[in-house]
Amino acid sequence: MISVRNVHKWFGELHVLKGVSLDVKKGEALVIIGPSGSGKSTLLRCMNLLVSPDEGDILIDGVRVNDPKIRPEWVRQQVGMVFQSFNLFTHLTALQNVVIGLTKVKRLSSTEAERIARFELERVGLADKADAYPAQLSGGQQQRVAIGRALALNPKAVLFDEPTSALDPEYIREVLDVMTKLANEGMTMVVVTHEMGFAQNVGDRVLFMADGIVVEEGTPEEIFERPQQDRTKTFVGTILG
Amino acid sequence: MGVRASARKVWKVLENRPLVRSTIAIASLLALAGLLLASLAEVKLISLGFMADNASFLLVPAITSLTATMVSFAVGIVGAIPMGLIRSFGPRLMKGGGRTALLTAPLYGCVTAYIEAIRGTPALVQIFLVAQVSGILFPGNPNIPFLGGVLALTLNTLGYQAEVFRAGFQSVSQTQIDGAKAIGMRPRQVFAHITLPQGTRLITLPLLNEWLSLFKASALLGIVAVSELNWAAGYLGNNRSHPIEAYIMVSAVYLAIIIPLGKAVGYWERRHRTPGLGTAEPTPAGRGARPRGLTL
Repeated sequence: MISVRNVHKWFGELHVLKGVSLDVKKGEALVIIGPSGSGKSTLLRCMNLLVSPDEGDILIDGVRVNDPKIRPEWVRQQVGMVFQSFNLFTHLTALQNVVIGLTKVKRLSSTEAERIARFELERVGLADKADAYPAQLSGGQQQRVAIGRALALNPKAVLFDEPTSALDPEYIREVLDVMTKLANEGMTMVVVTHEMGFAQNVGDRVLFMADGIVVEEGTPEEIFERPQQDRTKTFVGTILG
Repeated sequence: MGVRASARKVWKVLENRPLVRSTIAIASLLALAGLLLASLAEVKLISLGFMADNASFLLVPAITSLTATMVSFAVGIVGAIPMGLIRSFGPRLMKGGGRTALLTAPLYGCVTAYIEAIRGTPALVQIFLVAQVSGILFPGNPNIPFLGGVLALTLNTLGYQAEVFRAGFQSVSQTQIDGAKAIGMRPRQVFAHITLPQGTRLITLPLLNEWLSLFKASALLGIVAVSELNWAAGYLGNNRSHPIEAYIMVSAVYLAIIIPLGKAVGYWERRHRTPGLGTAEPTPAGRGARPRGLTL
């Protein structure tokens, strides 16, 4: 569904992505792991064109989308994103955060948008928090609203950029539960995470990145139990202790 | 019962009645002002009769001052928003290079130069300059002093408001912009639905400040023959030989407009403050409650 072909990205002198290629199949949960600074987030941001690749192609359903003729806004409607720091709109309530994309981007009527938004909040277990502002919600609740906001637009896939890294430990579970449910429902997901339990139990495939390249990919068993590359072995060894 | 105990008792009654507290405060202030006027009249420094007779004379000048301020402030906002945008996002656009940078650079330069020029020269000088130019361009037109005055105030507030908006836009964090882009908003929608409302909420009070400054600056227009409040004070003072009364009366009019307006906007801002947006969190003890220790 999403294909990344030999993507390079420089930030000034820094070569962040050095020719990354990968495929995300429909309905699969692809987990990307790797040390900080390995380019995981940049790769994810390339996939919805929040960052435009300097070289290489991003394809969605076979269409090359990093093309000047294609509006990045259209791509971002196809591929939702959930951020590490939630990025909920601080001046809007939980409900309005979900509604705004439906009315302004999808151009639905406000009644229809509200109906969908309430349904999405229900789905992430926050129907009763519809009128709360982000600052009045816990980190876990904010992240669930953010997931609802992404899902409301009915994307083909959702990208998760370290969705639990900014959370206090007691809130991580509820977010992972929502994500697990999504994966079980067959949502196509790309998840950058340090939650190895989630990668092992929910991930269909795991991809290990280091230094701007994909070092190794395989099933969770292959990556965590029988890693082939030395760098993967070291990383997995450190993480799983 | 001791003084402290009774004071505590009074406070207990007043604690949750902000309206009663304000009424008491205003009444005391008015009483003090009345006392001051009465004593000045007693020593024959001022004549209360003169003040009573001429109070109505200030009505039209007050309207003139208010009109000049409101028109220039409103026109100023319309111009200041795009200028603030150029100021806040110009540097990034220029760094991007290409045609955008070529178009942005002169625009950014002009806006910056304009703001520096306005903020670096006295408002009075700006008003004189506009008055001189408009006097030469449209000799003998009776509306020119007022229109020129409004133009000068507009040019002045534009420079200040542009910086207020720049600060507002810059304080909207990149995470908010990313969030909006990620749900497929176009740049214009991101601005209209995220940057503008958040930025504006953050600058309500700075904008109020600018309005109040502008209103006071409108007093300078009297010098270029606009019949506003300060001019009216001069007129009453010179032609009727009661300058002290005239300036006291005009001061009272300014205060009567500025204080309630400031309070009203402050109250509105507290009522509409979004939790988590802006610097101050709403106080838990209720709207407008001051932290203890800072109580007046």
